[in-house]
This record gives sequence, C-alpha cells and structure tokens, in this order.
Amino acid sequence: MSATFWVWLGIAIYIAVGLGIALMARRQLGVGVSEFFLANRRVGGFVSALSYSATTYSAFMMVGLVGLTYFTGVGALGFELTYLCGMFMMVFFLPRFWLVGRKYGYVSPMELLSDRYQNKGVGATAAILALVFLVPYGAVQLMGVGYLMYGVSGGAIPVVAGIIIAVVCAIAWSSIAGLRSVAWTDAFQALIMIVTSAAVLGVVVAALGGFGSFFSRLEEATPGLLTVPAASGAWNINMFIGLALPWLFFLISNPQVSQRLFIPKSVTAMKQMLGGFLIFGFIYTLISVLWGFGATLLVPGLENADLATPKLLSLTMIPTGLAIVVMIGITAAAISTIDSILLTLSSVWARDIHKGLINRRVSEKGELRVGQWVIPIMAVIAFVFAWWAAGKTGLSFMIAPLSAAASAGLLMAVPTIFGAFFWKRATALGAMVSCIAGAIVVLIFQITGWRPIGWWPGTWGFIVCVILFVGVSLFTRPPKDKAEEFIGYLREALKKGNFI
Amino acid sequence: MAVKYLPGEVLKVSKLAWGWTWFGFLLALDIAIPWYVLTNVEKMSGAFLFWTIWVVVAIISAFIILLKWRGVEE
Repeated sequence: MSATFWVWLGIAIYIAVGLGIALMARRQLGVGVSEFFLANRRVGGFVSALSYSATTYSAFMMVGLVGLTYFTGVGALGFELTYLCGMFMMVFFLPRFWLVGRKYGYVSPMELLSDRYQNKGVGATAAILALVFLVPYGAVQLMGVGYLMYGVSGGAIPVVAGIIIAVVCAIAWSSIAGLRSVAWTDAFQALIMIVTSAAVLGVVVAALGGFGSFFSRLEEATPGLLTVPAASGAWNINMFIGLALPWLFFLISNPQVSQRLFIPKSVTAMKQMLGGFLIFGFIYTLISVLWGFGATLLVPGLENADLATPKLLSLTMIPTGLAIVVMIGITAAAISTIDSILLTLSSVWARDIHKGLINRRVSEKGELRVGQWVIPIMAVIAFVFAWWAAGKTGLSFMIAPLSAAASAGLLMAVPTIFGAFFWKRATALGAMVSCIAGAIVVLIFQITGWRPIGWWPGTWGFIVCVILFVGVSLFTRPPKDKAEEFIGYLREALKKGNFI
Repeated sequence: MAVKYLPGEVLKVSKLAWGWTWFGFLLALDIAIPWYVLTNVEKMSGAFLFWTIWVVVAIISAFIILLKWRGVEE
C-alpha cells in the first residue's frame, strides 16, 4: 500500500483518539464560564505542564524553527532559547497571575487589566489586539500542518487539505469540553511529540555516524551556519532583536498562554507546570535545531526551507511508520495551539468585548453561548489567512518570521501588563494609547516593509509603546484605590508563599 | 524606597530587584558573547555550545527560585 494510504490511516486514527479523549473530558465538564474556559482552576501540575508545552510548541518548532535553522543557522537556536530564557520571568508573573486570578475570579488576562485599571476600555483594547494579531499566529500553525502532510505524502495530500483537517479538529477539540478537552488532548499529544521527534533525531544522528561525526560533518560542510551573523549575514543584531523581542515576552503578551497561569490547582501544581515546561522546552528546542542542521546535510538545496521537516521525514532512512507517527505528533501539536488560541479568543470576546462593552447584563449562559459561536468564526478567518499565505515564498512568509511578526503586535500589551503588577502610577489612558499607537506602528511598518535604521517593526512599536505608556500615565490620573488594593494584596500574598 | 517598608518587606523588594538584575545580565550575555566574542568561531563549540550552557544557567536559576515556593491557603 502507498504512503498516502498510511498517512490517511494515521490521520483517521489520530482524529478518533483525539475525539475519544475530548469526549472523555466532556464527562467531567461542569457548568459555567470559569469551568468551560479554565477547567474551574483545578488542573494538576502534570497536565498543566504538558498542555502549556503543547500550546507553546507547535508547528512553529518542528516545521518553522527547523526551517529557520536550515536557512539561517545557529542564530535560530539563540532566538528560540531567548524565549526559553524569558521564561525566567515566570518566577515573577506566574504567582502574581495565579493569586489575583483566584482572588478576583478573572477568566481572561484582559479582564484582569480592565479591573486593575478600572476601565473596561483597557481590556477591550487588549482584546482587539489579540483578535487582530493571533489570527496570523493561528494561521501559521495551519500552514505547518498543510506543509507537513503535503511533504510526508509526497504531494498526494494538498496543502489546503491539511489546513482544512487542522481547522475542523481545532474547532472540535475546543468546543467539546472547553479547556478540559484542550488540556487533555494537549497533554497526550505533547508526549507523542517529544518521544517521536527524539526517535527521528536518533535515526538521523545514527545515519550520520553519531553525534561526533554529525558535528564534524556540519563544521566541514556548512561552517557559516555555526556562527552569527552567519555567512549569509542573515542574523544581524537587528534581525535577532526584531524576532527575539516579541518572543522574550511571549509568556505574558500571548493570552492563550498567560490565561494558563490561572489554571493550576495549587502551588505544587504551579511548580510542576513551570519546572516541567522548562525541561520540555529545553529538550524540544535542541531536537528541533538539530533536525534543522541534520536537514542541511541530508536534504540540501531546498527552495522553501519550511519543507525541510517534511523532506527529512520522507527520506528512506526514516521508517515510514515512524515518519507518519511524527507527522501526526506535529499535526496534533499544531492543532493544540490553534484550539487554545480559539478558546482564548472566544473567552476574550465573550467576557471582555460582549459582556464588557456590548451587553453588560448578559447572563453567564448567554456569555458562554457567545463564546462558543466565536470559535468557528475565528477558525474560518485563520483558515482564509493560512490559505493565502501558504502560496507565498520568501523569508516574510516562512513560519518562524510570520509567528514573530504576529507576536510583535501582541508585544504592545506588555507595558500595560507590567504596569498592572509593578507600577501604581500606571493609568488606563496610558495603557490604551500605548497599545493602540504601538500596534499601528507595527502594522504600518509590517505592511510597508519600512525599517528605519534597520530596526524591525516590533522594536519600533515597543519603543513608541513604552514611551507613550509612561508619558501618558504621568499626565493622567491613576486608579489609586484599586492600585493600592491590588498591589497591596499581592505584596502580602507573595510574602506568604515565599514568592518574589 | 527602603524606608517605606518594614524590614521583611525591604528584603522582598531586594529579592525582586536581584531577580530582575540577574535576568538583565543574562540578556546582555545573549547578545554580547555570540556577536562580539564568538563571531568567528565556526564550530559547534562556539555559539551553539554557548547558548546551550547559557539557557541551562537560566533554567537552573528559575528552579532555585521556584523550589522555595510554598503552599498558600486559599
């Protein structure tokens, strides 16, 4: 039987297993908004860690980062590890989000901002930012699935078919039991992802004669890829900062991950979530980059670097069964990111835009219904974007730069989030003006391709954003009582838990 | 700043400040070493090894802090 048949069979099994897990999760589903979007804040450490890992690491890693390494070299490792180093900030933000989430009952990070700044407009502004910029980020996951299925099936499965499969699964996983189905499927797939990708790396390294021989061949064949800015000059400092800056603050700027900071059921679960993620992230990043280097030796000369993983998996040295399992693992990881994004966007729309601005008297049931309607709508928008971008070539349309570009827009909420936790003088107007102006700068620079003195859109947007946030805040009136109460509560609670 | 807080709180502010300073130092190394020290080292023992060790240090630092966390009553 052909590889295409086995690919289809693998996809069918994946969908059946995923559906089974999601339906099992549904049996534990309670009622209410907090239950649907946050699993009632009762998720254990192990599932939290794996779910956080699968949501963060997706098609971007095993397709996008592999492609970026293939194309530009070791700078891709530095870029991705800068994100992991940024996770050090979790020691500041994880306890803070978790504590105030429990005390004030926040469902979304935007609701936190609205309450802290005593202005619904702040949450709505951050919500719109998320709606605008998470669509391209979700779309790149879809592209990853499309490329993967196309490559592994030898072109028999068109890119658009892979995209459609991913969209349908993401809608199902996020709709069936909300965060419970998302977290359970995430956890299962994260295990498959790391085990199978490590197995393929083992096969590749063995085929190249072991790590020593692999590294020697790399140093002989492509020495320019082992340094920065690289022989091609790709990794100049401006590009590195332009890509890494949004990644550095990913943990708080991307609501689909910052919302997860509300869900651990205890401090022990929090510790397991962060510790587990750091270990997973380190291993998975090294595997992805080594895959990219392996591809430079085994499948050189590709025009579209995002096809490096599919081409690697289609080599005869990789057993077909293993290649298909890995393909399904990556597909599932991509879908787990999209369904998390869809779920977060639906909660943000329902809580921060519909309830916050449109209909403040909406019942909890009505709010939930609105959120559930948003899931397929956002999925279709992401599908259209992915379909459009999948036909393009060049660095700007590669998965990794596209992901970082989307995160550049989300970066504009970072000063507002810092202010909420650390600066009593921060004001709602400062928050809104900085988010809007920063996002406009990013969009204009992104669309026109304009990069004054070589700095990337996210860098310019962030500078404008920080200046406006501080400047406008200093000239406007802060919500003094709320700031005192919010930060005062945290000061006491942090002390009790020995947090810093 | 210290005079506004009780002795215990001064210590807390200080820990927070140390945490941010350490993080800033790590970020400075992130650019300084690969671009200015290892830029001509076209080997796996160059930027690849540096970034690997560098992030292990960051991860261990985070573990040192998080392992001190203790349960809080809800």
